[in-house]
Amino acid sequence: MTFKRDAVAVAGYAQSPIVRHFDRTLGAVALDTAKQAITDAGLRVDQIDGFTSSALFPTAGAHAMQDGVSMVTSNWLAEHLGVNPTYVSGFQGVGQLPGSVMLAVNAIASGAATHVLVHRALHNPAGSYHGNPMQEASGSNQWTAPQGFFGPLAMIGMTYNEYLQRYGACRESMAAVLVEARKNGARIPWSYWHDRPLTADEYLAAPLVSEPICRYDADIPVDGVACFVLTSAERARDLPNKPVYVRGFGMGAPTRRRLPLHWPLDDLYEVGTETARRLWTTSGLGPGDLDVPQLYDGFSPFVYFWLEVLGLCPVGEAHRLVKDGGIDSDSRTGLPVLSGGGALGNGRMHGVPQMLECYLQLSGRAGERQREKATVGLACHSSPHFGGAIVYGADV
Amino acid sequence: MPGRPLPVADDLSASFWAAAAEHRLVIARCFRCNELTHPPDVVCPHCHHTDPQFRFEPVSGSGTVCSWTVLHQSFLPGFDDDLPLLLVDVRLDEGDVRLIGRLLGGADAALRAGSRVTVTFEDLAPGVAIPAFALVPEA
Repeated sequence: MTFKRDAVAVAGYAQSPIVRHFDRTLGAVALDTAKQAITDAGLRVDQIDGFTSSALFPTAGAHAMQDGVSMVTSNWLAEHLGVNPTYVSGFQGVGQLPGSVMLAVNAIASGAATHVLVHRALHNPAGSYHGNPMQEASGSNQWTAPQGFFGPLAMIGMTYNEYLQRYGACRESMAAVLVEARKNGARIPWSYWHDRPLTADEYLAAPLVSEPICRYDADIPVDGVACFVLTSAERARDLPNKPVYVRGFGMGAPTRRRLPLHWPLDDLYEVGTETARRLWTTSGLGPGDLDVPQLYDGFSPFVYFWLEVLGLCPVGEAHRLVKDGGIDSDSRTGLPVLSGGGALGNGRMHGVPQMLECYLQLSGRAGERQREKATVGLACHSSPHFGGAIVYGADV
Repeated sequence: MPGRPLPVADDLSASFWAAAAEHRLVIARCFRCNELTHPPDVVCPHCHHTDPQFRFEPVSGSGTVCSWTVLHQSFLPGFDDDLPLLLVDVRLDEGDVRLIGRLLGGADAALRAGSRVTVTFEDLAPGVAIPAFALVPEA
């Protein structure tokens, strides 16, 4: 297996503001954002012949799944743009954004489509995001919901505590992750947390939800849409923006049968290590080559897990690294793993902040936040054992 | 006031819940490869046989705590009066079988990774009981 590096490129993007609740429907914002991204790439709507995405609405609640309202599929987007595309596909797995990008890469590399729109539309419903009035626990829920183990906060609380116990870490160290994410998010005009940094004291004073997880360890639910236009590297070089190439990828999923939402640490490291190996094999690069490593942080412990499986620090050492200033993106020696603010510093945009930061930095479009050396980036999404990541590259 | 959600037995799980109602913990064993699986699946996750003919065998109910979390908020009905609620992730002595249940006896139990526990049951409704755990006092 040999991955075709740099065959496909990101040619343009657009992103809506990230807010708690849009004053318009999600689909209407998605359409406007899609048109902006197509224009940004120097293309016309009638040139887009491929659409890929994941439409997952990541709630444990009983909210209605309504296309164009609480989620937006590629089919909905194409139809409402008035396009009859040659290729449409939705990604089913976890690691939704890298998965959707890889569907686009495959469509373009195979010739199934020429210009592909990848989008992600996230919705924050009225009322409790994960609250569920369930009285009958059927299907997979029967094994855990009657006990009260339900929803992603309990899931990550269990995994995070296993980490704390195994490596002698404490909650206090994680304050550095939140402070870093919110510092960078505060500098970003489109972020929900724009101009609102967080102090370590504020973090440690927040109410616990699923101990050791507190409110700030989870990203805040938002309404937001992002779109990226992908095309062949050859065509991208004739378009207005500097191309950002898809250089490598890694995806993975555990094969061991577990209870729903049960993510034992050993499963996470075992599969995550293989995901990382796939990143280096496909890209021909290693952890030391990353100028803009953007780690997923929908829950703060994912930052530790990605740091370790990627080999950016030894297993069990991430809590020490962050506490010692090792991820300060303003320091010459810090790893800029949250320079784009991540999910904790932007809102629940499900891998978008990571991909967007790679794109903006590598295309030289990051404005005041532009980093000096930015030719190789990594955008991770979800847990290392249940998600994926893409290595992006730019011409030097 | 709505109560806690109750498990709904199906073709795969009926034997498990019938035993639980009698406060017995049983785990599915594949007739072909003899490995234990929880929760039972349509295919044996070990040998991938599509007709595993699971036998639900009694297990000791003894195990080791791998992790735990203390819920201060529940996203399901019926738990608010029990908060904070301590859930433990337990590896049964019989093998790589992990169960998650409440640790009865208070959220401030002195726990560590490796603490020994034994299964007990919560009676949720007439004829409905679910596995939970209790700490085994350290010698």
